[in-house]
Amino acid sequence: MLLAIAWRNLWRNGRRTVIGAAAVFMALVLSLLMLSMKYGSLEQMVSAGVNQVGDLQVHSAGYFENKSIDHAFFDNKNVDVTFKKIPEIKRVVPHLETFSLASYGKQTKGIMVSGIDPKLEDIQSGLSKKIIKGHYLEKGDEVLIGDNMAEFLKINVGDSIVLLGQGYRGITAYGIYKVAGIFHLPSLQMNSSLLYMNMQDAQSFVYPYQKGLLTGFSIYLKKTSQLKAVQKQVGKDLGKDYEIIPWQTILSNLLETVATSKAGTQVFVLILYVVAAFGIFSTILMMTMEKRKQYAVMVSIGMNRGRLVWMSILETFMVSIIGVVTSLAVASPILFYMHYHPIPVTGNLAEMYLQYNIEPVMPFSVSPYLFISQTSIILILSFLSALYPVIYVLKFNVLNAFRH
Amino acid sequence: MSIIQAKNIYKVYNETHVPVHALNGVDLEIEKGEFTAIVGPSGSGKTTLLNIIGGLDLPTEGDIFIEGTNLKTLSSRQLIDFRLHNIGFVFQAYNLIPVLTALENTEFILELQGVSKKEREKRAMEILKTVDIADKRDHKPGQLSGGQQQRVAVARALVSQPKYIIADEPTANLDSKSTEELLTLMKKMNEKFQTTFVFATHDQRVMDKARRIITIEDGKAVKDETFER
Repeated sequence: MLLAIAWRNLWRNGRRTVIGAAAVFMALVLSLLMLSMKYGSLEQMVSAGVNQVGDLQVHSAGYFENKSIDHAFFDNKNVDVTFKKIPEIKRVVPHLETFSLASYGKQTKGIMVSGIDPKLEDIQSGLSKKIIKGHYLEKGDEVLIGDNMAEFLKINVGDSIVLLGQGYRGITAYGIYKVAGIFHLPSLQMNSSLLYMNMQDAQSFVYPYQKGLLTGFSIYLKKTSQLKAVQKQVGKDLGKDYEIIPWQTILSNLLETVATSKAGTQVFVLILYVVAAFGIFSTILMMTMEKRKQYAVMVSIGMNRGRLVWMSILETFMVSIIGVVTSLAVASPILFYMHYHPIPVTGNLAEMYLQYNIEPVMPFSVSPYLFISQTSIILILSFLSALYPVIYVLKFNVLNAFRH
Repeated sequence: MSIIQAKNIYKVYNETHVPVHALNGVDLEIEKGEFTAIVGPSGSGKTTLLNIIGGLDLPTEGDIFIEGTNLKTLSSRQLIDFRLHNIGFVFQAYNLIPVLTALENTEFILELQGVSKKEREKRAMEILKTVDIADKRDHKPGQLSGGQQQRVAVARALVSQPKYIIADEPTANLDSKSTEELLTLMKKMNEKFQTTFVFATHDQRVMDKARRIITIEDGKAVKDETFER
């Protein structure tokens, strides 16, 4: 009967209940739309980052902290076997990176040489689509350079670039390569200092005496939820000579940016929730004041105040639940539609998206976390609003309440 | 043994500011089955006395015993439980729960007492028939007249078969016909169930039905008369 009384009490003054529920509805719908769009963009950004570096990276121990070529390792069969027997792994991309001097004519510049498997790299990052002049890597002794580097060195497609640097175990690394293509990436730093060559050329540039030298592997998983398990498994199988770094560590700067961006949005959402909180609270306040006499009657005829507390809590939560259910009913179809049919981005912004290897659309997130977190906030606000009637019920004087 | 025993009751409101002495040493005993009216001018202290007898308020001084239990020794929670199992209330403004039907209002106390749904529905219907309002069982208070609401209030007070019923000006908002019907009904209940009724009233029609009239003036019981009716 308590439930029935609580429910019917709500509709004694339906307009007031609707106003309270409407405050919840507006706040929740707006926050879901706003956060879904924001989280969707940020998830897309993180996803692009992970696509670049892999879910996990395997290096020899110490490489992540000190990226010296002396921390490189030789790709042996054990590593290969380890990856193959883990079914959760989708793809493994080897890489070899080292620093060198690049020279053409009278110009010289410090650069990073990145040895890649052209096929795998293109699948993963779509590098061939970033070539603005010349062609993608096709055969040996060819390199790709950034447009800023080309400008600095005054070099063009078809010219030969000289590389000179420190090789593995203190040897001098040197070589002369033909510029096959010039790429343009979104990062100025990458355009001015990155040079790609195929893996075999990079390995013989750094250490011509033994094949298979690598600085690491990028591991791509079938499902990101398997990251911890795979990290543990790979770590166990490879032993302490290797370090297994998750993408969260590699992209820690990006994650900080994401967190800052989310925090900024949360401030606006907080304002929405303050409005909702006042909506709920004022409804509850009016309901409590209106029912002082009813409460007094109930306690006089023998209703325990504890049961009355439950009744008032039920009423508060019912107002919120009405708001939550209606807002989820309205917002969810919109969000799911926008998730599967994201807003296309055009013009300069679209170009920028493409440069970052991101599809030029504005996706909406439908992460369960989003729905759970926002609904939980409303329920917490309801709980706080329910404190007023709870305190009133526990403290009110029956005879004074009769006089009102 | 008396069902209600008030010993030297004093009640002072606003003790720290301007003290109002509502009761100044009231002694009274009420036996089981009595039909008693407490009368007196406005501000004489009858409602205060009724509140104390009904366990809604406690005396500043003195003791109130209900079948030997001193209400002053009970905690707030125990007092609520005591009221639930021993006292029925009929209020001037009926004070039914507006969102419940006549049947649900009557059942409400039985639910608080933990009576099963089947049993409480049976008992509530019986009492609604007794007070002649069973045909309005599904009506909410807003759909009933004042007299009908007060009948439901009486049914609510009687349904749990309390030791006594406190009625504060029960006829004040009723017309003559409804007053007559209500008084006849309460008298009938008093005779049928031997339920003790204690009224606070200034209504002569209630006084005419009462078998005992206690007059309160300036917080003191100044007259106590009994009648053969």
